[in-house]
This record gives sequence, C-alpha cells and structure tokens, in this order.
Amino acid sequence: MFRILSGSLKTGILTRRDPFSSRPPFGFPAIDFGACTGCDECVRVCPTAALRTDHPAAGRKTLSLSYALCIQCRECVEACPEGAIQPGRQLEAAAYSREQLTQRAAFDVDGADGRASFRGMEVLPGPSLEESAAKLKERIQGRLGRSLHVRQVDAGSCNGCELEIAATANPVFDLERFGIHFVASPRHADLLLVTGPVTRNMEAALRRTYEATPEPRVVVAVGACGCSGGIFGEGTYASLGGVDRVLPVDVYVPGCPPRPHAILNGLLVAMGVRGKSGSGGAKRAAEPARGGSSS
Amino acid sequence: MTAARDVLRERLGLEGLAEIRPGELAAEVGLEQLEAAADRATGAGLRLATLFATDEGPGKGFAVHHVWASAAPPGFVRVFSRVAAGDARFPSISAKHPVANWFEREVMDDFGLVAEGHPNPFRVALHDDWPDGFWALRKAFADEERVPRVPGNNPHPFRPVSGEGVFQVPVGPVHAGIIEPGHFRFGVAGEPVLYLQLRLFYVHKGIEKRFERLPWRHGLFLAESISGDTTVGHALAYAHALERLLGVEVPRRARYLRTVLLELERLYNHVADIGALATDVAFAVPASRAQVLREGLVALQERLFGSRLLRGTVALGGVKCELTLGRRKELLMHLDRLEGEFDDLVTLLIDSGTFTDRVDGTGILDPRAARDLGVVGLAARASGLDLDLRRDQPHDAYAGLRFQVPVEEGGDVRARLMVRAREVEQSLSILRQALEGLPEGGLLAPLPDALPKASSALGWAEAWRGECLHWIQTDAEGRVARLKVTDPSFKNWPGLARAVPGNILPDFPVINKSFNLSYSGNDR
Repeated sequence: MFRILSGSLKTGILTRRDPFSSRPPFGFPAIDFGACTGCDECVRVCPTAALRTDHPAAGRKTLSLSYALCIQCRECVEACPEGAIQPGRQLEAAAYSREQLTQRAAFDVDGADGRASFRGMEVLPGPSLEESAAKLKERIQGRLGRSLHVRQVDAGSCNGCELEIAATANPVFDLERFGIHFVASPRHADLLLVTGPVTRNMEAALRRTYEATPEPRVVVAVGACGCSGGIFGEGTYASLGGVDRVLPVDVYVPGCPPRPHAILNGLLVAMGVRGKSGSGGAKRAAEPARGGSSS
Repeated sequence: MTAARDVLRERLGLEGLAEIRPGELAAEVGLEQLEAAADRATGAGLRLATLFATDEGPGKGFAVHHVWASAAPPGFVRVFSRVAAGDARFPSISAKHPVANWFEREVMDDFGLVAEGHPNPFRVALHDDWPDGFWALRKAFADEERVPRVPGNNPHPFRPVSGEGVFQVPVGPVHAGIIEPGHFRFGVAGEPVLYLQLRLFYVHKGIEKRFERLPWRHGLFLAESISGDTTVGHALAYAHALERLLGVEVPRRARYLRTVLLELERLYNHVADIGALATDVAFAVPASRAQVLREGLVALQERLFGSRLLRGTVALGGVKCELTLGRRKELLMHLDRLEGEFDDLVTLLIDSGTFTDRVDGTGILDPRAARDLGVVGLAARASGLDLDLRRDQPHDAYAGLRFQVPVEEGGDVRARLMVRAREVEQSLSILRQALEGLPEGGLLAPLPDALPKASSALGWAEAWRGECLHWIQTDAEGRVARLKVTDPSFKNWPGLARAVPGNILPDFPVINKSFNLSYSGNDR
C-alpha cells in the first residue's frame, strides 16, 4: 500500500492540460488547388475514392476531397507530381454533414494538352456549419447542460476506433474532466458514439440500441467507416456503409482511426462547447469545423 | 530442403508433393484421399493452420484446401482436392481434427459446399436472416448483391438447459464496455458456468470478397483494417503473400524495420492487456499505470511514424518509414524507461494476493484441448504449446536475431499474463538488437506492374495475438481471385469457449480479456 501511494505521488499528474495542443506529423491531406494541373494521379492512388474527379461539362472538371472517406494513408501526398498535396496538420475535424467534410475545386481544361487550371472553390449544397450548429443546439437546448453520458456502439468497426475511444478515458486525455462519462446501457445515455461501417448483421442491434436511448439522443459517427463506409465500401452484401445509412447522424468525426483528441473534440462539438466558432460559414467548404481557441 | 520434402512426401503418402517456393509445398489429392492425408499429417506432427475453399470459375468447380504447418522446415504443406460443380460435397475431417470445425462450416456458409460427415453442420458465419442459396464467395455472387432478409431461417440452436436453478444468460451483441459486438450464451447453475456458446460474425464486413474487388496495391489498406489492433501483423502477412507471389526480395533494412514495427505492436498490445486484466478485477492503480505506459508508446509511434496504431508504415516491397539515428536513440531511451516501469507494474500485480486470487487457476485451457482445437499464439504458449512462427518459419529479420519463446504450462489467466510479461522482455531485446544492428540500404524493392497469372502464395506473420495467414490466388488474367485471411482469433475463440465452463460467471470478463480475441479479425 505504501509503495503504491509513494509511486503515485512520485508520478504526479499526467493529464495533458490542453489535449488539443499537439500537432501530429499527419492529419488530413491539404491540397493547394492553385498548383494542381488535373493529372488525376492522386485520384488513381486513393484507396477509398476520398479524392475523385468529375466532368460536369466539356472543358470543365472538378476535383473533390472528402475527409469523411479519407483513411489518412498519405498515398496522394507521395503521388502528386506537383507537390500540391501536403500532409495537413489539422486533426480535429468534425462536422454536421458529409458535405461539410468535403471540398470541391473547379477547373478549366485546356482542350489541346488536357492541362487543367484552377477556377475556384465550389460551394456545396446544404446548411453551413453555423446553421447546423444552431439547429443541433436548438434540438438539445437545455437538455444536456454540461454533462454528457455516452454509450459507445461498435456497428462493424475493425476495433481501431474502439482503441482510440478507450484512450480518451486514459489518464492522459481524461475525458471525464469535461463532464463526459461512458455508460453501460443506452437507456442511461444522452449520446450514441457509433463506429462503422454498419454491417448487415449489426443493423438491427444498432436500431434497437437507438430506440432504447431517451430523447434527444444525439448520434456521433466516428471514423472513416462510420462516416462513409471507408475502405469497406457502402452497399456491399455485408456492409451497409456509414452510420447515416441507418440512423440520423448529428456529428461526423472522420479519421482512420481519429485520434483521441479528435474524438474528444467531436463530443464537445456535439455538446456545443467547441467547434461552432471554428470557421466561418463561407469558408465551410474548404475548412471543416475544428477546435479554435479552447473555450 | 529437398531432403525434408522427400521425408514429408513419404510420411504423408503424397506422391505429387512439390515445392512451390521456399517454405511452401503443395500436393493435389483425390477427394477420397483427403481424410487419410489429414490423419497422416497429424501423425507426422503437422498442425492444421488453415482450411478454405476456392471457386475455380464457371464450369470448373471448386477446390478445398488444407494447409498444414510443420514445427520446423520445410514449412507449410497445402493439400487440395477438386470438387465438381455438379456434386458440391467434400469429406469433413472435423470429427477427428476439431480444429477444422469452424473452417468447414464457413466453407459451407460461403460456398455452399457440403462437408459430409461433419458432426455439427450448422451455420457458423451466416446469421439467421440470411436466406439459403446465397453463397457470397462464389464467383457468380456480386459484391453489391442485395440479399433479402428472411426471418427465422435455419436458426442456430442454442443448447437447451433444464433442471432446478439452471438457466441461460444471454449477453450481447452490444456489450457494456467499449468493445466489439458478439453474443455469448451462458448456461449456468447459479454462478458456475455449465457451458458457453458463441454467436459471432456480427461485424462480418465481407473483407475476403472485397479483396477480390480492390486493386491489389489498395488491398494493403484493407489488410490494415482486418483487425485494428493487428495493423502491422495483417499488413505484413498480406505483403509477404504478395511479395512471394511476385518473387520480390525485400531489402534487409526494410526487413529489420518491419521487425521493429511488429514488435512495437506486440509491446503496446501486451502492456494494454495486462492493464485491462487489472481493470477487470477492479485493481485501479496498475490499470491506470498500464494505460499511461501504453499511451506513451502509441504517442511515440505517432511521433516516429506518423500513426499511433502504425497505419501506413508497411509497404508492399518494404516499408514506408525511416528511422534516423536520432530517432532510434529516442526510441531506445523510451524502451529503457518503459522496461523499469513495466517491471514495477508486473511486480505490483503478482505480489498482490487480491489479484492473484482472481487469476490463479481461473479459465484453464488444458494443453490437450488447446492442441486439438488448433489454438495458436500467446494463448497456445500459455497452455504449454511451444509454437511461434518467428522462430519456426522465420519471416522478416527474425532469422538473424536471438530471442526465446516463453512457454507456460498452467493454461490459466495467470499463465496468459505471464506469457505476455515474458514476451515483453523478449520484444525489448529484439527491438534493441534490430535498432542497434539496423543494416544500411534501401527501404523499398521495386514491384512489377502486374501479378503473375494463375498462381498462388501464402504469407504469414506471427503477430502479438498469434499467426496471421494470408493466402492469395490469381486467375488467368492475373487478377486477385481469392484472398483467404486467417486471423488467430478464428482458431482461439473455440479455446475460450472451452476454458470458461467450470468457472463462475463473474470471472468471465477476466478470462475473456486474458485471451483478448478480435471479433473483427474473426468475422472479417
């Protein structure tokens, strides 16, 4: 007993004061569309179609990048002959729709050599981050306060997301200091933290878990697979795909797997504590919600 | 090698046994000889490593493959038989070789081939609402096929229990903690468990089918996601299979770095599992300390390799990460610190009577059952089975490194804890040897543009939980026709079901955690 106590005293406090301060070597890819020539090399190497091109009209093309699909494999960074894709350091991405995690650039294509030149960013349909934040806040208004009970549901994950969700509760990240608490039953939960892809064999269990959760039951989809089906795809015989194929999703936390701080950030965004001031509505398409100054 | 092959050819009675490539032999036999070949293989000291079927294409029927592993070179022996399309049956070997039980039932579920004489021919992978007549791994079945749900079709009967005070306890698929889904059905008489039946495959994602659809270079990322805690293990098994298929020689430096990655994965999982055992007996101090040690490791992995769980570090033909001298020093210093703290952690646990009371003699898997069920990896080594592919069929840099394979005899939770603790010591030694003796040279071997046509290869890696096996087959156009993934969990779940009866229900969590099997790796 004495040894345990003295050991703990010597160790001191290990909890990181600001869990959002670290900047990892790689978050999501960041594209300098102005330097892009439209060679599509990145699209070819992307294993999940997070990067895709479309040809809306003759002489036009678009290149889009979806963080919902991105598994952060870095293939595009290495493949780009122009060096236009850099390893981005942003990791705390969270948004309220798949569109808000997508950026799309429009290009003019030169008929002679096929070279594309950047025209500008497109604004994707759907509500802005601020509109979505306001809507979610209205739905849960006053119901949750500053405490949040979370029930985690693995609806088909590879268990990578589970490892990182479990890490949010370790002494370094310590999510309980934010009033967030994991509970054993959906009946005790305010929020379902769901990892995917939703499999055919977990669909019924996921629906029943949702039905057992009291209103306003917020749903947060975690990981590339929970956001979009990821590497496992959507609509295969065994994988339905993203959580939003089965349940209404309030907040998306992309990444493969998202780091513990990104998951924590997603939960705080769902609570309305972080994120809504992260980026302006106009910039929405280019920059998904992220933690600004810790408020 | 030729001599070893000739001895095996004689002992297995396999005339056509041929060496496909180093460590890999194959022979075709008639269906009627499959059972006898299995008996002789076991008699010669081989163990069944995996069993699977292939669809050979329209009008060409199927094949059933038994892959046997020898304890020393020559390595893996694949015995296969063709099954005619019009007569989709093959002889079951499960009655005499229980390790084949789930494998054969999965062949029935995925290919619609009947394992004749199987003692328990119920579904294992397909859930109740899956209709008859849809076989996902047949070529005629499209990945995107819409399969209707049928209520109550061909249910999996749970064993009935009767008697005073005897009842069933259903648990799952959604569990109380942050873990994967699966259903456990306990038959209990008060607290003591009479039996445990498993209902898995809730997280079946169609991974083997998806490998057939993805370009083979992208398959590596799918392999990384077979089981998130075994990213390096499965990535290496996949890379080994492809490199052997392509005849690519991985540079020495890359082989050493791969060894570093695989041992780091072993280290962070073993440390976390030892802490989780403490959590499950409500011993909070060591549980927290283990979490801190584990977090320190994964945070370091992120700094060194850009990924906490080592995603994107293994490449086909080599590795995608480099360790400069400065970073090697940082890693070595971290390991030195970890060693002392880890020793304190283990001492704290095994010196504590309240802890050892819970783990000594709990959840015993006896050596005979472990061998019969084909249990592998640390669970096998905790039940007295001395097997480890790093030593028996060395891959990457293991042939040039000195290490021991810890074996415990108890088969209980404590034995599985001690195997982990002793493996951590060995991992530290392997890491130091690999980091200090890191050879100079390239990191990546160039790869050909296309896979060889109508060929096959086996890749293996001894990951932290046990052996990961990937068997790849290409068709006449050089596309991936089949990729069979064997995760250690698939062979170890039946071992857990065997270890639980006779214990009290409240000890189930700690027994389960001592195996710490992957649902995703099992279900694929």
